[in-house]
Parts: sequence; structure tokens; C-alpha cells
Amino acid sequence: MRNFFRLLAIAIIALYSVNSFAKEDLELQEVKIFVEEIGNKIINIAGEKNIPEAKIREKIIAEIDRVIDSEWIAKFVLGKNYKNLTDQQKLDFVRLYREFMINTYGPKFKNYNGKKFTVNEVTRQNSFFIAKAEFLPKESDTAIMTDFRVKKKDGKFYVLDFIAEGISLIETQRSEFNATIDQNGVEPFLKNLEQKVKNLKNNKR
Amino acid sequence: MHRIFILTFLISIFVNNAHAKFPNKNNFQYNKNAIQNQIDQDLEFESYQSTTTIKIHDPYEKINRQIFAINDVFDRYFFEHVAKTYRKTVPNPARKMIRNFLANISLPISALNSFAQGKVDNGLATFSTFLINSTIGCGGLFNVAQSKGISYKFEDLGQTLGFYNIDQGAFIMLPVLGPSTSRDFTGWVVDKAINPLSFNVAEIGGKRTLIDNQFLIATGSLYSIDTRESLIDIIDDIRQDSFDTYATIRFAYLQKRAQEIKK
Repeated sequence: MRNFFRLLAIAIIALYSVNSFAKEDLELQEVKIFVEEIGNKIINIAGEKNIPEAKIREKIIAEIDRVIDSEWIAKFVLGKNYKNLTDQQKLDFVRLYREFMINTYGPKFKNYNGKKFTVNEVTRQNSFFIAKAEFLPKESDTAIMTDFRVKKKDGKFYVLDFIAEGISLIETQRSEFNATIDQNGVEPFLKNLEQKVKNLKNNKR
Repeated sequence: MHRIFILTFLISIFVNNAHAKFPNKNNFQYNKNAIQNQIDQDLEFESYQSTTTIKIHDPYEKINRQIFAINDVFDRYFFEHVAKTYRKTVPNPARKMIRNFLANISLPISALNSFAQGKVDNGLATFSTFLINSTIGCGGLFNVAQSKGISYKFEDLGQTLGFYNIDQGAFIMLPVLGPSTSRDFTGWVVDKAINPLSFNVAEIGGKRTLIDNQFLIATGSLYSIDTRESLIDIIDDIRQDSFDTYATIRFAYLQKRAQEIKK
């Protein structure tokens, strides 16, 4: 009887450990699939023939909008200044930032008309995942290395950051936005953002 | 024995709960009240930032911004056009050969810095690349070493100083040369001083010219044009999208250097 309980205790611990590792492995695998799907989908859209460039742009923007958590990023990039905004300013900023983000960076991916996109490694860092990806452009043998920071929210994965050559997009924006607000104040910054979004939408850049 | 079983069972439940708590923090985060949500998000932002801690120390910001504005004008009216013309007129394979050649002449200094950091493997790979490319690779025009599977990471004295935890010091915007820090600028000066291709040691001795001055001017100019050409798209993007070009370039520079030292 004593041996039975001892064995049962070991079995519970072993089962728990196996379960934890399997769960962790599964999540890392899910992140890999999630990021690879995004990369390959963008490559396919960018490579589509016989459709106007404006349509390609529109499709990529929709895809970027689908996979990023723009609200989380908006709050992150404004840092300490977000708390000082009024409720209305917070709402305006989150809305404008989403428009700014997808309309600024979405069209840039239209050049990702590449041969191959693979995720080589996924690791966990605090409550985030880092997917190390490699993109091979069509007319080059030199791969472009990029990292994606991913987060799980309500059972779904979202991209939070895009890191190229060691430079994080959202951390750079955070530094830039805060420097702008420190210099000129919140109101001019929000007006400037609104104008930029207007220009982006009208393609006046 | 029952106690062992019960104890194990309780521990397993506790550990399981604890395990469930951390990775799935967000699943129940939304059930908490708004204040708790804010605290959680602040902690999350902090944990995000801690992955790459960048310190901005810019005591000369006012002067730096003025120098940056002058550099910007110089670039918009002169250097950018030179770089774009270079891209337009020199075919890609030729530009690649020039880039290989310029990279190759800086490899001995990079190898020395690797050894100084105790990165013997990287130092040997760098030096092997230099030897192979300088000979079989026609003076560095072709990166034969890379095609043979030899890869290296470039190291300079700024990185070596950073490796030994020497503080980056103040951020400085140099006329024409662009962003740097007091540590990186010191490293750059010393790297140039000990590189026989940049600093004409024999000529200073008054005996004979080791490297022709025209060669030095040509390589220096080519290096500047090549670097600017490689940055055309990035700088265009920053100018279009940024709210504060100076702040963007400052942070991107500091982040990139921190990353290079960390690797």
C-alpha cells in the first residue's frame, strides 16, 4: 500500500511536468505557425499579379490591422504621457494611432515580394513570445533577419513589435513620441498625428 | 503514507495553479477591476522594456539638435543626391564589390577587437575572412570566405569598451559624421589611429609614403557614399514618418549599439 501511494505521488508529479512542457511546446509551436502565416500571406499578397497596386496596399493594410494589437501598442508608445491625457484624448489617440500605424507600415510591406519566409526560433520572454524570422527577398541571396514580438490575449495571438537589425519599432516610437510631447506638449502632438493620418490616407506623403 | 500522497496532491494543485496563473495572466486580468488592470499593464510595459534597456543621456541636446539641423541641410542638398546618383549609375554588382572591399580593409581592426573581448572564434573567423578575401577574393572585392561558410561579426573599439561595461557617456551629434556617444567616438578615433590604412604612419616618420594619400581620400569618400547609399531607404522612411527625426535617430542609434554590444 505504501509503495502504491509512493508510485501514485511520483506519477502525479511526472504527469504534471510532462503536461507543463507539452503545453509550453504547443504554445511556442502555435506562435511559429501564427507568424509564418502572416509572413507568407503578405508575400502572397505582395506577389499577386493582375491587380492594381492600390488593391495590394489595401489588402496588406487589412492584414496588418488584423494581426496587431494596436490598442496595447498605442498605450505603450505614449508611456507616461498616456496617463495624463483626458478620457477623450485617450480615445482619440488610440483611434488615430491605429490609423497611423496601419497606413504607415502596411504599405511598406508591399515590397515584401519575396521567395521565402521562415520562423527559425520562438522563445518566451516574460509574458511575450519572440519569433526570430528570416525573409529571403526575390532578387537577393541575403536573408533579412527580423524578430516579431507576440502576445496572447483572450486566446488569440497578436503582434506587438517588429524588430529589424536590433531596432524595435515601438520602443523607437515611444522614445520619439515622448521627446515630441516633452518639447511641444500633447495638443500639438495630437494635431500633428491627425494631420499625418489625413495625409497618409490621401497618399500625400 | 497517506500524508505523503495528500501533500503531493496539494503541492501539485498549488503548482498547477501557479503555473496557470503566469502564462495565462491575461485571461483573468480582464476580470479584475480597472485599477488592477492599469497596474498589470504598467508592469507588463515595464517587463517589455526591460528586454532592451536603453539609457538616453543627452546633456548637450540643444547643441546636438543644432548640429543635426546643419547635417540635415548638408545631406538634403548634397550628400543624399550623391548617394542616389551613385545608386542609379553604379550597377548593383559593382556596388557590392566596393562594399566588400571597404569591409575587408577594416577587418584586421575588427579581429583585434574580437580578441580584446576574448571572442577568439570570432577573431579567427574575421582574420581568416581578411586573408581569404584579400588573396583569393582579389583584394577583398569578392567575399569568398562567406561563400565557404565563414561568417564573422564586426567588432570595433566602442563595442569592446562597452563589453567591459564602460559607460556609453553622453550622446553626441558629430558634424557630418552623425550620431555617436563619447565612448563610441573615442573608440572610433583610436580604431582609425591604429589602422595603417587610415593613418599614414610611414609618412609621419618623414621617410616614405606607405599608403598614397589619394588612396586614403578615395577610400574615405567611397566609404561615406557607400554608407549613405545603404541608408537611403531608412532615412527616407524616417523623414516621412517621424515626428521628431532627431529623437528617432538618437534612439535607433543607441538601440543598435546596445544590441551590437550584447551579441
